[in-house]
Amino acid sequence: MADTDEAAINLPAQDAGAHIEVDLSDETQDFRMLNSISFLTDGSQTSLPKRGEKDFEPNPTLFQADILSASRQAMHNALSYPRLHHPKHHVTGVYAPNGPTPPRSAQTIETTISEESQAKKPATTEVGVPAESCVYISAPKGQLFKTIGQADRWNRIWLLPEEALYLLERGSLDIRWPCSEVGDGDEDGTEDSGIPMSLQAAYAAFMGRSGLTSERFSVYTGLRRLGYTITRAPGWYNEEEGADVSESEQTSLMRQQGPGLAGIFGRFLQWLYRPDEPTTALGPVAGLGFHRSYEEIYRKLSIIPWYDPTTAPSPAPRTTPPYRVVFHIYKPSTPFKKSAPPVPDFRIAVVNARTHTTFPLLSQLGALLESTPLDPPTERMSRQLYMRLRHGYRNVILAVVDEGVVSYLRIADSAFGKEQIYKEKNVRGNKGPPRPRPKGR
Amino acid sequence: MDDPSLPIPISYIAGSYFLFSIEAVTYLRREHHICGVLSGTLPQIPQQNVFLGLPLKLMPEEARLLVDKGVACIVDEVKVQKDGMRALMEDDRRKYLRELESQGEHAMRVQTSRKDEQREKALKKLEEKKARKAAKAAEQQQQSQQSQPVVADNPSKEQEKEDDPIVDLFADHAPTQHPRTQTTTTTTTAPYGTSMGVTPATSHPPLPYTPSASEHLPRPAVPSSYPLFAHLHADGYYLSPGLRFGCQYLAYPGDPLRFHSHFLGVSAEWDEELDLMDIIAGGRLGTGVKKGFLVGGRGWMRGWMRIV
Repeated sequence: MADTDEAAINLPAQDAGAHIEVDLSDETQDFRMLNSISFLTDGSQTSLPKRGEKDFEPNPTLFQADILSASRQAMHNALSYPRLHHPKHHVTGVYAPNGPTPPRSAQTIETTISEESQAKKPATTEVGVPAESCVYISAPKGQLFKTIGQADRWNRIWLLPEEALYLLERGSLDIRWPCSEVGDGDEDGTEDSGIPMSLQAAYAAFMGRSGLTSERFSVYTGLRRLGYTITRAPGWYNEEEGADVSESEQTSLMRQQGPGLAGIFGRFLQWLYRPDEPTTALGPVAGLGFHRSYEEIYRKLSIIPWYDPTTAPSPAPRTTPPYRVVFHIYKPSTPFKKSAPPVPDFRIAVVNARTHTTFPLLSQLGALLESTPLDPPTERMSRQLYMRLRHGYRNVILAVVDEGVVSYLRIADSAFGKEQIYKEKNVRGNKGPPRPRPKGR
Repeated sequence: MDDPSLPIPISYIAGSYFLFSIEAVTYLRREHHICGVLSGTLPQIPQQNVFLGLPLKLMPEEARLLVDKGVACIVDEVKVQKDGMRALMEDDRRKYLRELESQGEHAMRVQTSRKDEQREKALKKLEEKKARKAAKAAEQQQQSQQSQPVVADNPSKEQEKEDDPIVDLFADHAPTQHPRTQTTTTTTTAPYGTSMGVTPATSHPPLPYTPSASEHLPRPAVPSSYPLFAHLHADGYYLSPGLRFGCQYLAYPGDPLRFHSHFLGVSAEWDEELDLMDIIAGGRLGTGVKKGFLVGGRGWMRGWMRIV
């Protein structure tokens, strides 16, 4: 009997497939797998190769040595694939080390106008694009620019450092050195010098520029590669005071509407049902008196104080630097407009695991969650208790980067106290413990 | 595969250590068991996260180990680029551009000839199919025999135009002329010029390989877990960052390309008090992912503790 029981335990449950989902990017994959993908028919190849077979440990056989050298050769070949720009799809950008400037032809004529616009919008430069932009493209073409870059009045698209670096790394953009940087005599020449920037030069030029750390860049490219649209969030700029005002303003607005009436009503009910705090020192916890229903007893028994995430403290606490929303993420399915970005699907804070080795404090996490707008469980979850708890009332994603390896954690503010289980008539609906979320990714 | 000349310059950019040269990456992996983490996008398949490309990001521990071995040196890449490009001579610049152009031309030639080959193959297949069909048709319908062979050659051309997007995915930027008429002159084709733009991975051709002494940086600072790293590495293990598995270093018995990791390495001070819960949690975690949990620290007697 015992044997069959054990066997039953070891047998995979029906939905075990979903549990043990192997993430290929978790471990280094054998680059020989890449050989099976023909790059010439890239478009038709939609699925990636399956996990390859690996050996347990090295042995001195020639066979194993051969496979290993084949793997290394495959990796070498894959990595040495050049970044080529077919003349038909060739997009050229020019590096502007001093930030956005109007084109030379317009510089003299439009000085008066640019001064005006500068006075109006201090956050952007005179050309109407973020001041951190550092690459401009005169003739943009292709799908990618639907979600990347910001156009100025002269129809040039300006890229932020991470956008420029991502496009170059992807082989979709050819960035040129400006005349001023290659000793062409002209000190402030922003024109194309014709010398392409290498990947190495681009990293040196863009990494570390305007808050772009390699951790943030890892997160940016990792999600971009998967098709998400990413924009900088106000929390990107550490030093700016009140940088996250815009988002907390939204929340405070919602707060006023949300719990206003219901909150007062709830407090009234509390007062009605709980005239004095129950203490165990003087008799039973439920208190003396008449109890006409179980509900009443349960309510009196709930003596553990809890916190309601819908009624947040009015002055939102300040977030501390790494625990701050730095990216807004949009799913590939979300229609995205550069001029009017919609409400983000996810908010991400990036943490460097090497400099922050401990889990954030409750106050740090609390402030981070407070800075995100209220996102209560949807109607759809009204019957699913565990879904509701998992979704929470506010949520944020922590991207923890350990030397280029990114792990994502979703942190949600759940309200266990709001889920009054004793009120639920149909308890059988939720049986079994909640399925644990796969850790990281 | 040429071995790069030593010491290999490691680029220090904004607090991280990068390698951009494929020769250096392959060499260090083969000879010194340094794998790093590939952090760039592969230009040939840019929409996935399983296979990544250059640059290779090195942990400070890896960079330190290589510097201590005398295999590599740390270079302030930002300074090198800025000063190097400013000091570039007119002749060097021209030479570099010429070189890039010839590379681009070569790439274009290779691609067009490959395309032609593919196209030829596809055409051949198509023709075979046609021929077979024609033969079949001829067998079945003897009376219409006289019209078939005449058309057999021409429709293949027409058909080919329709089939293009399916048969040849690169048809849109393939030569516009008919390939059969110009297989001998493959080079004179592309309607947009004869050279591809090239983005090189390294800045070595215009800039010198070994930068001047003023651009060298001191040895990288390493965390207190470095002794564990160095010890495991000396034992022949390949190490990679391990936060994803809840540890500091993932230890592989051989090249991670071919082997799964065996240990989850966590460093501790020799006389540090360990929380029993941590050990149990680590052990259980290790069992869950079929790896051993390993705690190590440097002691006054160079002793090592292993919990597996």
